[in-house]
Amino acid sequence: MTSPFGILTVVTFLPLVGALVVAILPSRWTRPVALAFALAAWVVSLMMLIGYLPNRAGSQFLFLEAYDWIPIFGIQYKLGVDGMSAALVVLTTTLTWICILASWVPIQTRIKEYMISFLVLEVGLIGVFLALDLFLFYIFWEIVLVPMYLIIGIWGGANRIYSTIKFVLYTLVGSLLMLVAILATAFAYQSATGSWTGAFDLVALRAHVQTVGFAPALQVGAFLAFFLAFAIKVPMFPFHTWLPDAHTDAPTAGSVILAGVLLKLGAYGFLRFALPLYPDAAHTFAPTIIVLSLIAIIYGAIVALVQPDLKRLVAYSSVSHMGFVTLGTFVFTEQGIQGAILQMINHGLITGGLFLLVGIIYERTHDRTIAKMGGLAARMPLWAATLGFFVFASAGLPGLSGFVGEFLSLVGTFVVNPPAAAVATLGMILAAGYLLYMYGRVVFGEVSDFIVGLGGHITDMTPVEILTLVPLATLIVVFGLQPGLLLTLVQGSVVDTIGAVRDGVPLPIGTEVVVIGLGLIIVLVVVRTISAAMSSRSERTGVMTEGGGAH
Amino acid sequence: MNGADLSAISPLIAAVLTAAAVLIVDLVRPGRSGPAVATALIGLAITAFVTIQVGMGAPTAFNGTYKVDALSTFLDILFISIVAMTIVFAPDYLLPRNLPIAEFATVLIFAMSGAMLIAGSADLLLLFLGLELMVLPGYLLAGYHKTDSYSTEGAIKYFLLGSFSSAIFLFGVAFIWGLTGTTLINSADPAQPGVAQALASVVAGTEPLSAGLAIGLAFLTTGVAFKIAAVPFHYWTPDAYQGSPTPITGYLSVGPKIGAFALILRLFVEALGPLAEWWLPVMIVLAGLTMTLGNLVALTQDNVKRMLAYSSIAHTGYMLVGLAAYAGGQVLGLEGLLFYGAAYTFMNLGAFAVVSAVQKRTGVTSSLETFSGLVRREPGLTILMTLFLLSLVGIPPLAGFWAKAYVILAAVQAGGSLTVLAVLVVLNAAAAAFYYLRVVVYMWMRDPVTDAPPLTHGALMWGGLATATVLTLVFGLFPSVFEIVQHAAAAISTLPGGG
Repeated sequence: MTSPFGILTVVTFLPLVGALVVAILPSRWTRPVALAFALAAWVVSLMMLIGYLPNRAGSQFLFLEAYDWIPIFGIQYKLGVDGMSAALVVLTTTLTWICILASWVPIQTRIKEYMISFLVLEVGLIGVFLALDLFLFYIFWEIVLVPMYLIIGIWGGANRIYSTIKFVLYTLVGSLLMLVAILATAFAYQSATGSWTGAFDLVALRAHVQTVGFAPALQVGAFLAFFLAFAIKVPMFPFHTWLPDAHTDAPTAGSVILAGVLLKLGAYGFLRFALPLYPDAAHTFAPTIIVLSLIAIIYGAIVALVQPDLKRLVAYSSVSHMGFVTLGTFVFTEQGIQGAILQMINHGLITGGLFLLVGIIYERTHDRTIAKMGGLAARMPLWAATLGFFVFASAGLPGLSGFVGEFLSLVGTFVVNPPAAAVATLGMILAAGYLLYMYGRVVFGEVSDFIVGLGGHITDMTPVEILTLVPLATLIVVFGLQPGLLLTLVQGSVVDTIGAVRDGVPLPIGTEVVVIGLGLIIVLVVVRTISAAMSSRSERTGVMTEGGGAH
Repeated sequence: MNGADLSAISPLIAAVLTAAAVLIVDLVRPGRSGPAVATALIGLAITAFVTIQVGMGAPTAFNGTYKVDALSTFLDILFISIVAMTIVFAPDYLLPRNLPIAEFATVLIFAMSGAMLIAGSADLLLLFLGLELMVLPGYLLAGYHKTDSYSTEGAIKYFLLGSFSSAIFLFGVAFIWGLTGTTLINSADPAQPGVAQALASVVAGTEPLSAGLAIGLAFLTTGVAFKIAAVPFHYWTPDAYQGSPTPITGYLSVGPKIGAFALILRLFVEALGPLAEWWLPVMIVLAGLTMTLGNLVALTQDNVKRMLAYSSIAHTGYMLVGLAAYAGGQVLGLEGLLFYGAAYTFMNLGAFAVVSAVQKRTGVTSSLETFSGLVRREPGLTILMTLFLLSLVGIPPLAGFWAKAYVILAAVQAGGSLTVLAVLVVLNAAAAAFYYLRVVVYMWMRDPVTDAPPLTHGALMWGGLATATVLTLVFGLFPSVFEIVQHAAAAISTLPGGG
C-alpha cells in the first residue's frame, strides 16, 4: 500500500507547515493558527488510525512510504505504522492540541516562538514513532531535543537554565552513543551482506537477525548503547535525575508533553528497536534491567511520598509508573508487553492530566508547595473533584485505565518471576499512599492561610481549562472499562515483538562482554562526573544562572 | 611551459589576476569598499568557473609536478567559497574600525592561491611553496588591526611559530628527499620512482627501514600538526585567533586549516600512504588529544570568539579521526574528512559572521555578555546564530550532524582502537553541546545588559549569511553532496572503493 504522498508524511510534517505559517503571519494570528494546525494534525492522525483499524490484529506496517535518500549508504526515508505507533501518534497529536490550548493564557511572552517550538516538537515526536529507518529515527529523535530545550529554558521556572542544560546533556550523551551503535549495526549488516542496501532499514535488519544474527560483541555493545539512550529517556533508575528538575522548571504544557510523550520515546525504542535487533543481548541484560525497574518503582514511589512540591511529586510518580513499563517489557511475556504498551498510553493520559491540574493551581497561586495548600475543595470544587478523578486513575483504581496497564504488567511478571511481581505490587500500594496523602492535604481540611490570603484569585476552572481535561478523562474511563479497544489495536505489535525476542538466548559472559560492559560503566562514571562538575561549576560561578564572566 | 601547462593552472592565474584587479580598482577609487568588494566577488566567481572547467579535463602539468583531479577541484571550490564568504562578512566589522577592505581582499585572495597550489601539488617542493604562499598572508591578516596591541601580539606569535613549523616541515621534506632521491610524489616510470613508489618498496622489504625515514616522518608530522593546530602543537591559536579582527579569525579558523588538511591529503595520504601503518597510531593519539583538550579548554571560555577558536581545535580532532580511519583501511574516513571540512567551513564562518555583525558597533567585545538577550535586539541574527551553533553541536538534520556521523561511521568501520575513538568523538560532542548551548542560553534566555538600539546590516551581510544558512541546512539532505565527496576521495585513495 504505497502512495506518492502518503498520509504518514502528511501527519508528520503538517505541524512543520504550521510552524512556518505561524512564523510568517502577524503575532495576533499565532495562537489560533497554531491550534488549527495542531487540530488538523490530530484529525489526520485519527484518519490514519481509522485507516489502520481494519488491520488491527496484524503485525504488518501499513501506509509504508519508502524512498531512497542517501543511496550510497542505503539510508531511506521510510515511514510505516503499526498498532503501537498508531496509538502513540494519536496520543501525541491529542496532547499537542491540549497543550496549545493549555498555554493559551499562561504563556504571555514570545508566544510566536513558543508555538513554533511546540509544533516542531510535534514533528519530531510523530517522526520517531513512524520512522522505520534507523537513521531517520535518529534524526527525529534528536530533533525533539531542541524545541524541548527552548521550551524549558525560555518559558520555564526559576531554575530553568540549569534544568534545561541538564536535560540536554543527559539525553545527548545517551543518544550520541546510540548513533555509534546504529552506525556499527549498519556496518555489521553491510559487511555480512556485502551491500549497504537495507543497512538502516528496520525490516531488513530484523530479517537479518532472524536468519543470521549479529555477533555477540556487536549485540552487547549496541544493546548497551541503545539501552543507555532509552533508559535516560524513560527515565530508569539511576538515570532519572534530570527528570524532576526538568519537570519542576518546565511550563505546564512542557511538563504535559514531557511526561505524556517524551518519556514514551524510550519505552517505544526498547520495544521497536532494542529487543528485536539484539534479542540475545536483551536476554543477557534482562535480569539487571528487571532489578533496575523494581528499584525505580519502589524508589520513585518512596521519594514521591516526601516531595513538598506538587510537580516534583508527579515527576517522581512518573519514575515509578514508568518502572512498570520497563518491567513489563523485559519479562518477555505477552501480558507483560501488553501491559507495557497500555501503561505507556495510560500514563500519558493520566500524568498529562495531573500536570494540567497542577498547572491550573499554579496559575492562581504561583506556588506549588503542598504544605501551603489546604481546603481547596471549598474554593475550587470542580478542580478538586477532577484532581480526585486523576489521582484515583493514577493510583490504579480498577475501572480506570491506570489499573489495566499495571495489572497486565504484573501478571506478565508473575508468570515468570513471582517475587519480582510481589515487589512491584508494593509500588502500587505506595502509589495509593503518596497520591491520597497529597490529595488529602491539598483538597481537604481547613482552608489554609495562604489560600485565604489570595482571596479572589482562587477561582474554579475556566471553560478552556475544563476543555483541556475532558478528552483525557473520557479516554481514561473508556480505556478503563474497555481495555480491549487498546489491546486489539496493539495486539499485532505485541505478538510481533514477543516473537522477535522470545527465542533470544542469554549470551555467555565472555571476555568481550565483560570488556564492553566495563568500558561502558567507565564511560558512564566519567560522564556523570563531568556533568556533575559542570553543574557545580555553573552554580558556583553563576555562569548559568547569573551574570557570566565578562571582559 | 606550454599551452597545456597554462591551461592547467588557469584557476591560479585567474586568482592572482583577481587580486591584482582589486588593487587596481582601489587605486582608481581609493578607499571605496563597494567597487573593491564587487571586483573581488566577480573575480572569484570567474575563478570558480575556470576551476570547474579545468577540473572536467583533469590535466597534469609541468612534468607531472602539478595536477588537477577531483580532489583538487573540490578543495579549490571550497577555498574560493571560504574567501568569498570572508570578504562578504568583513565590511561590517572592518569599516567602522577604519580598516581598509581592498588590501584585505587582495591578501586573502593571495592566500587562497597558495591553498589552491597545495591542492594541486604533485611534488613535495611545490607543496611547500603553496604552504608558504598560504600562510604568509595569514600573518599579515592576523596583524591587520595594527594599532591594536592584541592584534600585533597575536600576529607575532603566529608568525614566529608558523615560520618555525614551516622550517621543521621543510627539514622533514629534506629527509624524505634524501632517502628517496625525488620530490615527485607519484611516478608511473619504474626507472624513476616517485616518493610513494620508493616508500612502497621500503615497506615491502626490498630496502631496510632507516632511522632517517622515521626522523623525517616525525618532522613532517610535527610541522603539519602545528599547521592544523593539533594538540599539543596548538598553543599559538588562541592568541592569534583572539587578537585578530573577528572576520579574520573566522577565516583563520577554516582557511589555513582546510589548506593544511589539503597538504595532509597530498603528503600523508598520497606520498606517505605506504607508511600508513607507521603514522596511524600517531594520528589516533593526536585526534584523541586534540578533540578532548580543545573541548575541555573551550568549556571554560567566557568569550565567544575564544570559545569558537578552541572549539575549532576540537573540530580538527574530529577531522583527524577521518584521517585515522583512512589509515585504518577505510576510504570512508577520507570522505568523512572532506565532508567534515566543507560542512565545518559553512557553519563556522556563519557563526563568526554573526559575531562580526554583532561587533559592528566599535568597542563591543565578543564576550558572552554581549550576547545577552540578543534575540530582543537582533532576532534575525539570533536565529541564524542558533542554527550555526546547533550545527556545530551536531544536531540533525544540520550539516554538522552529517559530518560527525560520517567520520563516526568510518571509525566504527575501521574497528579496533578506532571504535574507542568513535566513542570519544560522541562524548566530546556531548561536552561541546554545553558550551555551544551556553551561547544560545545567553541569546534567548537572558535579559539584555545594554539598551543600545539594533544595528542595521547590509544586503551583502544578509546575502552571505543566507548562503551559509542554506548550506548548513541542506548540506546533508542531498545525496549528490555525498557523491561529490566520494568522487574527490577516490582521486587519491589507494584503497579498494568503499561506499
